Amino acid sequence: MKVRALYFASARDLAATPAETLSLPEGASVEDLVQAALKLHPKLKAVMGSSKLSVNVEVVPAGTRLRDGDKVGFLPPVAGG
Amino acid sequence: MATKSRITTAPIDPARVLASVTDPAAGGTVLFLGTVRNSNEGRPVRGLEYQVYREMAEKRMVQIEGEVKAKWPVRKISMVHRYGKLGIGDISVAVAVSAPHRAEAFEACRYAIDTVKRSLPLWKKEAYVSGKGAWVKGDPIRG
Repeated sequence: MKVRALYFASARDLAATPAETLSLPEGASVEDLVQAALKLHPKLKAVMGSSKLSVNVEVVPAGTRLRDGDKVGFLPPVAGG
Repeated sequence: MATKSRITTAPIDPARVLASVTDPAAGGTVLFLGTVRNSNEGRPVRGLEYQVYREMAEKRMVQIEGEVKAKWPVRKISMVHRYGKLGIGDISVAVAVSAPHRAEAFEACRYAIDTVKRSLPLWKKEAYVSGKGAWVKGDPIRG
């Protein structure tokens, strides 16, 4: 299946791309996607400890199962306002 | 009417945000404006660049407005957050609340802006006078 990874702020800088499509086996979890992203962009590791992950605009635990076409957001600590 | 779009690159017009919460049953209206400050933690700042996960931010702003209306007898609430490059003094965020009485207008507005800061997927990079820049250290996004 294909899943879209969306990188924000420091995660975007470290991945050097705002978004990309990753291929994952059926039944893969958010954590599997993170591992796939880390393989492509090892520098991302620096922000993963403090980042949250979203699937289709909802923040989710790393064990969440993914489905084809899902959008996974890499969300470093936020600072709006 | 203002603020169909809650996330925008366009300059925020406070008069428009205020006008959008006008209500004949309101006895008090509170407007909060967040503006870009010229320093942070002792470092001179020349501007900010906001990045946003727009789809998620818009959805969460609608949720916050719903929460505010459930908690207080608010007549109208309007919120708008700007992104992209902003200069010193530019308005980055506006929240307007109208209510029958001032107490609930103040409380609801305070809750709304505090929640915006904690729970919206927004990030800001400071451009320092020295020429360098850095993402502002934030807090993990709330639920």
